[in-house]
Amino acid sequence: MSLPIAELVPSHIRSFEAYVPSRPDPELMRVYKVDHLHRLNNNENALGPPPAAQRVIDGFEPPRSAIYPSGDCFFLRQALGERFGMDPERFLVGNGSCEVIASVIKAFCEKGDNIITADKTFAVYEWVAEFSGFEARLIPLLDYAFDPEAMLAAMDGRTKILFVCNPNNPTGTWWNRQTMERFLARVDGRAIVVLDEAYREYVDDPDFPDGMELMERHRNVVVFRTFSKMYALAGLRVGYVCGQKDVIDYIRRTHIVYSVNGLGQLAARAALGDDAEHILATRSMVARAREIILPAFRELELPYVSGAGNFVMVKTPASDSLIYRQLMRRGIMVRTMTGFRFPNWIRVSLVQEPAMRDFLAGFREVVTQVREDAEGEEA
Amino acid sequence: MHSENRLILELPPDVAFLPAATATAENAAEVFGLDRSGALKLSLAVEEFFAYLCRFAGREEPLRLTLSQGGTFVRVAFRFRAGEVSLRALNFAASVDLDEESGSLGDELGLLLASRTTDRCSLESSGSGVYVLQAEVDRNYPEAEPLRTPQTLCPPIRVPRTEDEPLHAGLLQHAALLAAGHYPVRSCPNSFFRPARFADMVAAGQYQALLAQDGADKPAGLLCWRNSGPRAVVFSGPYIFDDSADQALGQEAARLLVERFLSMVARTEALCAFSERPTPDVPKGWFERLGSLTLRNEAGAESAGKPQAALFRHLREDVGGAVWAHADLEPFLTRQYDRLAFSRDILRVEPTRTSRLPQHSLLATSLDRRRGLAILRPLLDGQDFAANLAAHVQALREEDVDNAPDILLHLDLSEPWQAALFPTLTACGFQPRLILPHAGASDLLVCQHVPADS
Repeated sequence: MSLPIAELVPSHIRSFEAYVPSRPDPELMRVYKVDHLHRLNNNENALGPPPAAQRVIDGFEPPRSAIYPSGDCFFLRQALGERFGMDPERFLVGNGSCEVIASVIKAFCEKGDNIITADKTFAVYEWVAEFSGFEARLIPLLDYAFDPEAMLAAMDGRTKILFVCNPNNPTGTWWNRQTMERFLARVDGRAIVVLDEAYREYVDDPDFPDGMELMERHRNVVVFRTFSKMYALAGLRVGYVCGQKDVIDYIRRTHIVYSVNGLGQLAARAALGDDAEHILATRSMVARAREIILPAFRELELPYVSGAGNFVMVKTPASDSLIYRQLMRRGIMVRTMTGFRFPNWIRVSLVQEPAMRDFLAGFREVVTQVREDAEGEEA
Repeated sequence: MHSENRLILELPPDVAFLPAATATAENAAEVFGLDRSGALKLSLAVEEFFAYLCRFAGREEPLRLTLSQGGTFVRVAFRFRAGEVSLRALNFAASVDLDEESGSLGDELGLLLASRTTDRCSLESSGSGVYVLQAEVDRNYPEAEPLRTPQTLCPPIRVPRTEDEPLHAGLLQHAALLAAGHYPVRSCPNSFFRPARFADMVAAGQYQALLAQDGADKPAGLLCWRNSGPRAVVFSGPYIFDDSADQALGQEAARLLVERFLSMVARTEALCAFSERPTPDVPKGWFERLGSLTLRNEAGAESAGKPQAALFRHLREDVGGAVWAHADLEPFLTRQYDRLAFSRDILRVEPTRTSRLPQHSLLATSLDRRRGLAILRPLLDGQDFAANLAAHVQALREEDVDNAPDILLHLDLSEPWQAALFPTLTACGFQPRLILPHAGASDLLVCQHVPADS
């Protein structure tokens, strides 16, 4: 008698629910019967990549697709080493930072170990730990920010990694230099501390702690960065981890080679060399979008959380999924926050003015409608 | 083969193995916690099912008998292959015609007996001639008197994390009895009146529950939920135990319960949460109104005849979907989906040719006498569907002539054959009332029977 397939599957996989990504835009447009879609759901940089990266992408000759990429992103790591004044061997590049999250967890955790992160943050740390069979200790946010004291209190002898999303997605809160230094001092090298700085290029506050600098004093610190956000190469999936050489050597043992495509490597390298004006232009676009959107939220008397990064979170007067569906009918895609454990909040990416104005027009209509419906039900 | 709470036996479809099947069932039932009487009921069901299937199931494969412990019940399931199977005796409205000259009399009498002695029977079809016939026998639990003592809460209100520590069974039972005493019968799961059963259901994972407690650790509120199909959770509550004038702490408990509930189900396989019996304490702005049912029959309740809203919310972004619909149902669906801003492709279904159908249909009936509510679900189509449905309505109305139960019927719109039944339902007095998104394999349509005399 053959075994049911489920009997072959470890219990932590059986109980894990696979993430279901959004459908492709054309399918969503068909389903919601709209002829356009403003993508305000994934914190993409609507300006597109820096000009040098765009030129690389334009000039990529199709026959090059037949050639394997550099298996360890040789030239891109050299460029990163040059940018940060470090040995290129201290960088490991992955297919987006999600891949390097998995590599770090595989490198340091074994049966019975745990990781610590926040309950309301980028979900991939928690997911990778759980489907790998490790406990994810989720610490509630404190005033929308990571709670250093509670994270420290949750540590035990089996804690291997603490993930700090700085700035945090989706709240945009961040630890300043002092908070970070105190935290690292108290961790005292007992576990790896991952600083996920996916949105760090959006912060220009001098009090924002630089992970690249911190790891020189705290050898247990590793830093994640990505080309998906500020550098607008999300479609090519390039992210990286940087740490002390011995730490990276261990992570490399669990890391898949050849996972980063050739065009992505070329475009990321070009983007890195042409980012100064791009970063200023993007920050300016985000600031302008914030100027447009926040007064409207205040006028609608809706609480919002607006920190660092190219997004804001706003509390909705009805189910976030209802607001999503109503906005989709108007060609506007936002991110519902129930899955981030913020039910009745949506996250909105900050992009160019016309799209923000379209969003606000639709959002006002929807909020007015749900408020009228609620009044009607009460009456 | 076995696991801690499950036992699987494969037997040739031969009555010579009947003693092996019944002895195994009786033994497993006792090991899994049924008393002597319950074990005999289960053993009887196995005997009748096995004998029946030996005659009618395909002979090319063994019969797979699975006995499992479900916390508060023991389940027997037979998996078998058959081209066409008549299980009409499992219908709630079934009766055996003693004058019938068919040779199946004895067979159906056995099935009828099995379906009446167990607490629940169901049949699932995989669509390729493979069926799973199941019966469940509940463990016995004592009934307890609901608690109506007025409660005043003291701050602060908190909802302990059940991920860290399971809820204490005594506290759960206390809260269930408070809910049973503070809310109409129809708002409460039946198990609230047998609180030890409720606590065991929570311990076994049949229900999940959250408890709010006040500053003195008294129960301040309760919310519970269970899966409904693979992609939905159905919740009951929140039940709030605050008899103070302003109920500020009660409202706080309700908000905390709902927030924690949504946080807990948000990263599970569930796509949505809904409730067909929400309490008035559901905080505003968290759920959408799907529609309402007119509940005529709340025995002894003041709210009799009042529309009962059904509430819903997605837990993820809706990516659309497809449902089957008969032309007569399409306007209702279009109106509802548009009002709710659901994106659905409505696929037109043609009526099934009667000549292609098996002779007998099968309906699952869930009758809750305490709440005065019956829910029908079509399991198998058949040439006699219209007559069978009418017989069910009649039988249910005769259950209690003075206080007949409200009758709902759930149609799974992922099944074209079920969607094609719609004209038959309307002819029998059913009206479409609301859609439960993702509550079945796809959306469920809830129809309510409206008696001609109402």
